[in-house]
Amino acid sequence: MNRFDEELKLALRREEPSPDFTDRVMARIAELQRQEKSREKTDWLRRLMQFFQPPQMKWAMAGAVAVVLLIAAFGVHRSRENERRRLAEIAEGERAKEQVMLAMRIASAKLNVAQKKVYETASHEGESK
Amino acid sequence: MQRADETLSRAKDGDQTAFADLVREHQAMVFSLAHNFSRDRGTAEDLAQEVFIHLYQNLKSIESPAHLKYWLRRVTSHRCIDHARKQKMKTVSVDDTPEPAAPATFQDSLMTEALRRIVATLPEKPRLVVTLRYQEDLDPTEIAELLEMPLNTVKSHLRRSLTILREKVTRSLGEINV
Repeated sequence: MNRFDEELKLALRREEPSPDFTDRVMARIAELQRQEKSREKTDWLRRLMQFFQPPQMKWAMAGAVAVVLLIAAFGVHRSRENERRRLAEIAEGERAKEQVMLAMRIASAKLNVAQKKVYETASHEGESK
Repeated sequence: MQRADETLSRAKDGDQTAFADLVREHQAMVFSLAHNFSRDRGTAEDLAQEVFIHLYQNLKSIESPAHLKYWLRRVTSHRCIDHARKQKMKTVSVDDTPEPAAPATFQDSLMTEALRRIVATLPEKPRLVVTLRYQEDLDPTEIAELLEMPLNTVKSHLRRSLTILREKVTRSLGEINV
């Protein structure tokens, strides 16, 4: 090794960094650990949010929408069926009422005829006496 | 050696004090590689910090104290080159670099400072090869392995860099027995 090599070795020799270098490295590592812990805490929320994001949720969302649509369609069908039944019952009631009225009218007419005959019979008996 | 093994093992088990000991043990090497490459203390400290944080995150993969030394040299070298590429560091001309503070032994310090400034003007890879050769005392085979470079390329970088350095130092300081 010649003089020039020695000079280069001297020029490029190892030097120490600032006295607080190690402390700063350790402080940065502690900060990284804190960040990692807080990331772990919010991790479950992130995973939950991810579940609702495509593409994982694509089929689940499609299924949920289909179920909601089926329930809505069933509800509308039930409601229409109830309405139809109610109207049918009302119509049936009206028909029954009309029949009762007709029967009463017929009975009334028959009674009138009978009453008339009773009066006529009574007046004939009085005249013959 | 056994103590170094123990320190590494404790650091791998999560012992922060042991990791701080590892940092203290190797910080001069890592910092000086970055400093001799960048010639800027702030940049060198930032790079060295990043290297140690990267080490902390990859500590499980370190197999032995010798592997740790190799790993640190390798990661620091790559970080230096990455940083230089990112910053598109201009090679500093000898005239642009500031003059050193008044030296104790005037002629030696002048030579030392001149050499440092001239090394900083070398292109990235030759600069790193020279730094590893003269700071870390590695032979060309070790440098070639560390930088994943053909051995002949390392030797050629060294030869050419030394010629350039001799010429520039002679020009800068005059004929002073170089």
